[in-house]
Amino acid sequence: MADEDNPKEYRWETGYEKTWEAIKEDDDGFLQASVDDIVQRAKRKRQTLKHGSQKLGMMRHLYLLLDCSESMASQDLKPTRLICTLKLLEMFFDEFFDQNPISQIGIILMQNKRAERVSDLTGNCRKHTKVLGNLGKTNLSGEPSLQNGLEMALSSLKLLPSHASREILVIMGSLTTCDPGDITLTIDSLKSEGVRCSVIGLAAEVRVCRQLADQTNGIYNVILDDSHYKDLLFQQVNPPPAAVCLEASLIKMGFPHQPNNEGSEEPLTMCMCHVDSVDEGSKLTTGGYYCSQCFSKYCELPVECRVCGLTLVSAPHLARSYHHLFPAANYMEVDYSSQTNVCFSCQKPFGEGDKQVYNCPNCKKYFCLDCDIFVHETLHICPGCSTNPLTFQIAVTH
Amino acid sequence: MNIVLPEESQQDASSAEETSLLVIILDSNPGQKMLRESPHVLTHCVDSVIVFANTHLMQKVQNKLAIMACHSKSSQFIYPDQGKHGDIRQVDGQYEAFTAVEKITKKNLAKVLTSDGSAVITESLLAGAIAMALCYIARLQRTKPPGAKLNCRILVVTGSSCSTSQYMNYMNVFFTAQKQNVVIDVCALDQHLNLLQQGCDITNGLYLKVPQLQGLLQYMMWVFLPEPPIREKLVLPPPLKVDYRAACFCHRQLIDIGYVCSVCLSIFCKFSPICTTCHTVFKMPALPAVKPKKRKKM
Repeated sequence: MADEDNPKEYRWETGYEKTWEAIKEDDDGFLQASVDDIVQRAKRKRQTLKHGSQKLGMMRHLYLLLDCSESMASQDLKPTRLICTLKLLEMFFDEFFDQNPISQIGIILMQNKRAERVSDLTGNCRKHTKVLGNLGKTNLSGEPSLQNGLEMALSSLKLLPSHASREILVIMGSLTTCDPGDITLTIDSLKSEGVRCSVIGLAAEVRVCRQLADQTNGIYNVILDDSHYKDLLFQQVNPPPAAVCLEASLIKMGFPHQPNNEGSEEPLTMCMCHVDSVDEGSKLTTGGYYCSQCFSKYCELPVECRVCGLTLVSAPHLARSYHHLFPAANYMEVDYSSQTNVCFSCQKPFGEGDKQVYNCPNCKKYFCLDCDIFVHETLHICPGCSTNPLTFQIAVTH
Repeated sequence: MNIVLPEESQQDASSAEETSLLVIILDSNPGQKMLRESPHVLTHCVDSVIVFANTHLMQKVQNKLAIMACHSKSSQFIYPDQGKHGDIRQVDGQYEAFTAVEKITKKNLAKVLTSDGSAVITESLLAGAIAMALCYIARLQRTKPPGAKLNCRILVVTGSSCSTSQYMNYMNVFFTAQKQNVVIDVCALDQHLNLLQQGCDITNGLYLKVPQLQGLLQYMMWVFLPEPPIREKLVLPPPLKVDYRAACFCHRQLIDIGYVCSVCLSIFCKFSPICTTCHTVFKMPALPAVKPKKRKKM
């Protein structure tokens, strides 16, 4: 079985680790600097595992399966598991849509042995935040049913076009699941449809979740505390490698722009996105984005045209995702022996405190640890390479 | 997260703990068209920038300044630099800090200008310079005393043109600036800069193409000197409509409707069976039949 293949089976079977020896007091007797250092190094380690030029599933369709059973009322996360989860999810959605602007998320609740879809797949972040706000008041009752939840997500993901990357993220507070049938059959069909299922457990490792994640190439993790929880959740922001059965295709998209009619006043028009909404009706306004195919108006992008079905985006939406595909080259760690006086990008003077400096393989400039992390986590271009006419296009050509 | 609402920043604008950092990126690339035609224009620009920088420092005691030169082969910080400057004395009753800005900037700029000048590169690598400025800002944000507030902005002064070859670098720095709450202002001296204009729009900065170079200092004083919270109350040049259309990867033309590769998100103006960026082969025959279906379900 899957977890028997795992070489490092249980914590108590692995070698004896003296974790406290890694922490050293600094000159003033504080531990914080040492802890920060460990955290930064862990970030760097994770960074080096990322590789560029790999095929990624960029058009993500993610169903979030949220456990809303009795176990979510437990207070081991403050104030309760559910409220902590909702807070983190709000941040997660913001970050997710920031990094994956043309992707979509849907939410399914699992409670009372049933699955209930509270929001359909959509790319609108504000809709989800609204749904999350209402979820805080739900009654937490009964047991969850993992199988019902997965089946409901699968039935919707099945219908997507073949180039869409399909994913399910399960947040599981309960240690049990109450299923109507054989869940292994559901896992098999998920596997054959190429749906990647990841699970975040809030309590302890559960075998069926491990099996689900392993069989479908997902990740299974159990949280330690709320900051670890956030960390695990935010790992899901990066697009996963493309599934084997993922087909490539060219998708027709529209890039709306405002026609430049100098002099004349822009006409007042109604937008299509609010035309049939009950709470806020469509108003006559100027501006907005016009579908390049049928000229119906929308308030915001990205959106799928309701009239002709064309996907409307703006170029920066696509550009936001490019750094996943063309990341900056990883820096090499070198021992510091006064190669240079200052960090190339932030001008921090190197002193005796700096044991290692970081060297870019393309432009051969030296950087400090903070810049290394900033460049690879946020900036995604190497300041050294991009200021040199010989190297500024390296990421593009590879 | 670290998004500051405009109301908040307005309320405590008067508090003494607040520092504004201005990073000026001066394009000194000798290859730009303006300087190829009349090299002495640079002197005028440098003088204007130095006066502008000093005016920024004069507004508040806490205000901070950094100046970078974006040259043909590299970009570097020219103020403040690492060296010691104990010998700067008062000249004609001018405040020493202002004299220091002028002397250090001119000295380091002269070093930059004499360092290389063989090959003519017409396009300045401004994206890289902005990336360095962002790293510098990130360091100051990390090392600031707890509780202090640091408002940062970047002013790019350039006469160069911008082409799509740096597109991805530009977009990465704009999104990073947006995340870090750094405002990017652009002062175009010679040509209209479409990409940098998008950056100003993304980061809520101002874009100005200077109509007359003689009045550079005055334009800068009026438009770029006030800090972003104050700008809302001023009558500034109205924002131009920014064209966010995509340029296709095959012919570099702006398009209204295009085809996007599902694997690497490259944009093409016509259907082609193989993606030129990631070499993926697309399914050809099924396409016309499948297309209407896809649209419904997306």
